[in-house]
Amino acid sequence: MIEDRAAAGEIEPDVVEAVTAPKGPGKSRWAVAAVLLLGLLLLPLGRPFLDSYNYTILLVTNGLMWVALASSWNILGGYSGYISLGHAVFLGVGGYVAAVPLYYHGVSPFLTALVGGLAAVVLGLAVGLITLRTRGPAFIISTIALLFMFLLLVENFDYLGGTAGLPLPVVDLPQDWLKAPFFYAMLIAAVGSILLSYRVAHSKFGLGLRAIAEDETKAEVAGVPTRLYKIVAFALSAFWVGVAGAIWGYSLSFVRPSLFFTVAISAQMVLMAIIGGRGTVAGPVIGAALIVAVNEFSLTQFGSSEINIVISGALLVTVLLFFPLGIVGTLRAKRWLPAFLDWD
Amino acid sequence: MTDIIQVSIFGLLLGGVYALFASGLTLAFGVMRIVNLSHAVFIVAAAYVAYFAFEELGIDPLLSVLYLMPLFFLLGVGVYMTFFIRIEGSPRYVEMTVLLTFGLAIMTEGLLGWRFTGIFRQAKPSYLTDAFFIGDFLVPTGQFYAAVLSLVLLSGLWGFLRFTRTGYGIRATMQNRSAAQLVGVNVRRVSAISYGISAAFAGASGALMSYLFPFFPFRHWQWIALLLALVVLGGMGSLKGAVVGALVLGVASSLVVDQIGPGWGPMAFYAALFGILLVRPQGLFGKELAA
Repeated sequence: MIEDRAAAGEIEPDVVEAVTAPKGPGKSRWAVAAVLLLGLLLLPLGRPFLDSYNYTILLVTNGLMWVALASSWNILGGYSGYISLGHAVFLGVGGYVAAVPLYYHGVSPFLTALVGGLAAVVLGLAVGLITLRTRGPAFIISTIALLFMFLLLVENFDYLGGTAGLPLPVVDLPQDWLKAPFFYAMLIAAVGSILLSYRVAHSKFGLGLRAIAEDETKAEVAGVPTRLYKIVAFALSAFWVGVAGAIWGYSLSFVRPSLFFTVAISAQMVLMAIIGGRGTVAGPVIGAALIVAVNEFSLTQFGSSEINIVISGALLVTVLLFFPLGIVGTLRAKRWLPAFLDWD
Repeated sequence: MTDIIQVSIFGLLLGGVYALFASGLTLAFGVMRIVNLSHAVFIVAAAYVAYFAFEELGIDPLLSVLYLMPLFFLLGVGVYMTFFIRIEGSPRYVEMTVLLTFGLAIMTEGLLGWRFTGIFRQAKPSYLTDAFFIGDFLVPTGQFYAAVLSLVLLSGLWGFLRFTRTGYGIRATMQNRSAAQLVGVNVRRVSAISYGISAAFAGASGALMSYLFPFFPFRHWQWIALLLALVVLGGMGSLKGAVVGALVLGVASSLVVDQIGPGWGPMAFYAALFGILLVRPQGLFGKELAA
């Protein structure tokens, strides 16, 4: 049927191939994911056997946070092509929404983390309603402004501790197990954001977002409710960032505006998603793992965060110019993508 | 009442400088559809040059404009030829320019931070703390010079766009890129020159920043947020819009500082940005934009 139409020249050959090609070995993907997840679940039990347990678990927790952030960013920036440079604002909102009840009333952020995520969603909806009414660059600009607006507000709000932020109590656990709850919480955030990204990618909604990225006018003509989709994507992409912010603040034992509401954090999310391959499910995960490793390496090698910033910027420019599809996208275009990385 | 007039004078002087800072940004968007997130970091880089020229060689920051403009013009053309030529005609072009200039901004910021550290700098020429009176109203000399210089440069830009052959080409490209190409405008050359001019204006802006506003590498994010906000207010790509937006926000932010307190000035920019997106998304003087 489809071959007939292709023969008649109605459909491009590559489309035919995409539709008729046998689906990859889907089971292997799930097996790899299950093994990885199981390994991560058991990691804290490795404490007696690992010399560098503390270092390892901190690094992995950090990596999981960035997986959550980059995957979330990708829902808007990857699928729909609307770049948010202010996504750190949701990290800050989540962080503060969880920090305030802890600081003033002793409520654990592990209970309020989801509220932090919901607060981020509400903010995303409100801002999206204003800034996503139009197409094009105004949205991008407004996301930077949003970030700085929140920085200014939080720094001048005494209830939130001003520029010094709020100190937070340490978890009430034996020293040895102090890091485990944060690790598991970040694992939930990371898995949650990947599942969300996967669900979006495989839905009609996700298809609509991709159509918007290709050509918004055509998408609209084809009946995609573009405005609604963009706003919902923005709000969804805020959720796990907010949750991660709540956990992160608690794990640092303080929240401070200059640490949360910063372009540097937004920049890392963008970089990870783009290097890994924006618009793919696995891309941001790989990008996050890679960049966390690069950061770790450059910090130990050069010891200065300035060099690290230069490397980040240079990486972004290089990838954009030479591999705009990112790792996953480039591998797929060359048909070298291993099946366990193909989640789209 | 006199108080409000006094604050407005401060605001207008400041607005003139903002107009110069934003002019290159709006030109790059108008001609090439480049949302240049690295504009402010170029300004900061120029500010470092002017600062050290003043500290080490005693060159007045206002005179630094004379060599910073040609220097940054060449730099701008170089950046255009190195990076933007490559993404011409790429799918999702505007998005691409945002990401590319974002990367350039991060890279430059890192280099500046590595070379000059994060400490605050400010050149202190003799006229920085001077002031004179017009009637009852105080005019700070340094800001007055800066506003006059901005006015001169912006008039020069206007004249260049209005009366020279290259200027015709630039304006034609702004109006309709493919039509300009059809009638024989060398669009690529025009784009390279426009990006050069945009960078040259960043160079001139840096000379003024070096003594007007204390700066350090990371500061450029705050500046780009403010400048983009005023460009959106005026209408993206419209030079007239950028100037009007700058003057309006110069006065508005001065009033905010006067009424609410120092540090709250940027809020006028952000409020204006979200306000204009709510009521007139294309900005005061903008045309409805295609994505």
